[in-house]
Amino acid sequence: MNGLDRIMAIVVKEFRHLLRDPRVLATVLLLPIAQMLLFAYAISFDVRNVPTIVIDQDQTPASRAYVQTYSAGGFFQVRGDAAGIGDVDGIFRRGEASVVVVVPAGFERAITSGAKADVDVIVDGSDPNAARMGQAYALALNRLYGQQVAAVWAEKQGLDLSAAGGLDPRVRTWFNPDRQSSIFLIPGLVAVILMIVCVQQTAVTVVRERDLHTAEQMVVSPVTHTELIVGKLLPWTILAFFDMGMVVAVGMLVFGVPLRGSVVLLLVASLLFVFASLAMGVIVSTIAPSMETANVMALMLAFLPGLLLSGLAFPLESIPVVLQWVSSVFPARYMVDISRGVFLKGAGFSDEWPQLGSLALYTVVALFLAVRLYARKVRT
Amino acid sequence: MTADTTAETAGAIAAIEATGLRRTFGATVAVDGIDLTVPEGVLYGLIGPDGAGKSTLLRMLATVLRPDSGEASVFGASVVHDPDRVTSQIGYMSQQFCLYPDLTVAENIEFFARLRGVPKAERRTRAASLLTALGLADVTTRRAGRLSGGMKQKLMLATTLMHEPRLLLLDEPTTGVDPVSRREFWQILARVRSEGRTVLVATPYMDEAERCTDVAFMDAGTITRRGTPAEIKASLPGRVLEVGAPDPRAVLAAIKGVDGVRQAHLLGDHVRVLWSGGNTTGLADRLVAVGITAEIDEIPADMEAAFSYLAQDAG
Repeated sequence: MNGLDRIMAIVVKEFRHLLRDPRVLATVLLLPIAQMLLFAYAISFDVRNVPTIVIDQDQTPASRAYVQTYSAGGFFQVRGDAAGIGDVDGIFRRGEASVVVVVPAGFERAITSGAKADVDVIVDGSDPNAARMGQAYALALNRLYGQQVAAVWAEKQGLDLSAAGGLDPRVRTWFNPDRQSSIFLIPGLVAVILMIVCVQQTAVTVVRERDLHTAEQMVVSPVTHTELIVGKLLPWTILAFFDMGMVVAVGMLVFGVPLRGSVVLLLVASLLFVFASLAMGVIVSTIAPSMETANVMALMLAFLPGLLLSGLAFPLESIPVVLQWVSSVFPARYMVDISRGVFLKGAGFSDEWPQLGSLALYTVVALFLAVRLYARKVRT
Repeated sequence: MTADTTAETAGAIAAIEATGLRRTFGATVAVDGIDLTVPEGVLYGLIGPDGAGKSTLLRMLATVLRPDSGEASVFGASVVHDPDRVTSQIGYMSQQFCLYPDLTVAENIEFFARLRGVPKAERRTRAASLLTALGLADVTTRRAGRLSGGMKQKLMLATTLMHEPRLLLLDEPTTGVDPVSRREFWQILARVRSEGRTVLVATPYMDEAERCTDVAFMDAGTITRRGTPAEIKASLPGRVLEVGAPDPRAVLAAIKGVDGVRQAHLLGDHVRVLWSGGNTTGLADRLVAVGITAEIDEIPADMEAAFSYLAQDAG
């Protein structure tokens, strides 16, 4: 019909714009991959090669053996030793190490006599993430070492090893056994990257029509607001899915992200999410006075909540209640949950329906608002 | 064509019927209660100094701007309550370039015609004939952003004409267009009119105003004078003199205050004088007295003179 033909005319036109502007095309096709590589490598919660300095005040075979355990694993990187405890401040300030291990004098005497040996592990708290992990690892290491010492001691005494008991320091992580943060991050990133592309590009193209005065010509034509918005959103939906395919492919092939759950659920959720993001873009365009503002607003709206309030980097349960409420205004949190569920936990519709329902509701409201706000902006 | 003949010929609905149209932007009153009737089939010119409110009036009639108060209808359809029935009958060409610079000439025309529901076959034939008539046939594959200023204007006119609107609203369509192209423009407008369609055009060029069937002079948001170009020229309170001298500025300074000089201003290398006195000896004497040899000619009143008079009269 006529309406359909008008929508097609807009779709064709949008693709022409895209092909004419290599910068936008590059942004749309390459940026998602660049963003993903950047995020996946830069935002890493893996702690490896923590720079460590050892202060051995005991200088005995036992203390040296203990210190050896730190260099043995890949976790701590022993960079050398320092003279005394007074150096610790300077070491942290100069950034030479994040962990300082102090083995006090009398260490050997204490363990050979079967008593408790005190070892100080000092952690630089200015990088809380590394600090927490460093602490946990150091404690585990101590426990393990303590167990070994106990075992050696027990053997010497001719006791039954199993009777000596002790702790099992092994920690098991589900779904992501190696606790590689990239595998945890990428399914969430798929959502956030989609959102950034969609919100930003729509906001900018809609404002552009206004700047070019072509929006005025649209007003004087029989195109309805809904037709115009659908015609503008269709090309971006197609591109968004193309981007998503790329990001997922790189995630699976390069980072080894598994795809364990329902692909149909993922597609349905993505479609809703893309519509919601595009609608957000239109809403931004109606508020922003210029293309530059639209760009920045879109980035702020998509990027910050996408990163901070979506559960992508920080669990939603751990953020303040007020921010938890704020987070429900952004669709990313639902999509991140669904995406993680599908990729990592093998989730299907039955597992994620509350999230999917919320996302659907969100999308409907956002699209409705987008059309209404756009219409209000048209005839001033 | 006067208001009387209008009433006779237009037993049908007027192309434009506006009453008490008003629009403000903040504290500025752009259009201040305008009544305007444009019968179908006329070529109506809108003249007046910059900032008189011509663009705002056109934009309200095109439904792009909402009036604060008052009402206007286009072929009986209200611009406020029934904008869709208005837009389906009009073509509106804004003062700014309003096409896609990254699309080619052909793509721009194609896009807007398709939005307007022009069937594919007609899109092709109409585009070909319009582009030929406007001298754009050789640049159909050029991007609109790379056209010269005049070509951009012509492309906009072609785009506006593709769906053959009953009413054309044109906002200074020939600004920045060379004289030859302006002639092509007006040939097309004449053709549009001969097909019984209506044109309302704002123009800063008085030779263009001369070619209109009706003219309205706007100033400070109101229409201060309207009529046919002949009527407007006839309303001048005096005769038009052209004073030629090597230094026209000296002439202008010398004749200031001479009895009978209603108005004097520079136009090219002449001084234009609106003369309400009898014979011009008083004027010649003054020039001789200050040692200026000048040639004084009486010329027929034109729209240029009328414009100057109306603009100063109102200000």
